[in-house]
Amino acid sequence: MSLFDSTQISLEAAMRGSSLRQTLLASNLANVNTPGYQRKDVDFHAALREAQQTGQSLETLSFSPTTDTSRTVRADGSGVDADQESAALAENALEYEALVQVAGARTNILQTAMGVR
Amino acid sequence: MGLFDAIDVAGTGLSAERLRMDVTAGNLANAQTTQGANGQPYRRREVVLQEAQADGQSFGAMLDTAVAGGSSSSPANGVQVAGIVEDQTPPRRVYDPGHPDADAQGYVSLPNVNPVTEMVDLISASRSYEANVTSMQTAKTLFSKTLELLR
Repeated sequence: MSLFDSTQISLEAAMRGSSLRQTLLASNLANVNTPGYQRKDVDFHAALREAQQTGQSLETLSFSPTTDTSRTVRADGSGVDADQESAALAENALEYEALVQVAGARTNILQTAMGVR
Repeated sequence: MGLFDAIDVAGTGLSAERLRMDVTAGNLANAQTTQGANGQPYRRREVVLQEAQADGQSFGAMLDTAVAGGSSSSPANGVQVAGIVEDQTPPRRVYDPGHPDADAQGYVSLPNVNPVTEMVDLISASRSYEANVTSMQTAKTLFSKTLELLR
């Protein structure tokens, strides 16, 4: 039996996915005035769910960003809506924070069991 | 490399928007300049942005490549300035025979700078700058929350 259970490893994988998403959303926001820019995003929930269902190892799971070519919201061909990106950024930040809190609480439990504190 | 990427990306956005504000300020300052660098009236300048491409020269990029044993590309590199171009619309012609730069008919060619356009550009750049500041602050907060896991 390993020290960390599958939930802990899932949390770690989700944190990786969420931090990648944070970078992509930051990139969308930085390119809000770039003509013809197509927004990038990553659906790490779907990748995680699929890996869990197929029994794929979560430790080596990597997430691949997608480019949304379908929408154009501005006359210069840009696909970035600054308001939507800001909302997604705030949402993703909260999600990341929640993941960190839960992962931290779980390691604290382990530490207590080990008699560290 | 993780959340540092998000901070770097927001940083590229900050410098791009800052340059837009600088160029807009230059346009407003030169709104009445009838003698530019080439003796012609000043022409309005505009910043053209493009998506930044990875140069692979940063320490983080080189480390990632070495660790991956092959090529490793960052998922996003932010924005970069493609160039500053001059607006080729014709200059404004104003009848002012007393002006030293008036032509034989008494018309002066003034820069093709419209203060309203410039103010709108300035607001757009300033708002985008703020959005990038927020995104950088968020990444910073998330990073310090992650560091708290070690306590």
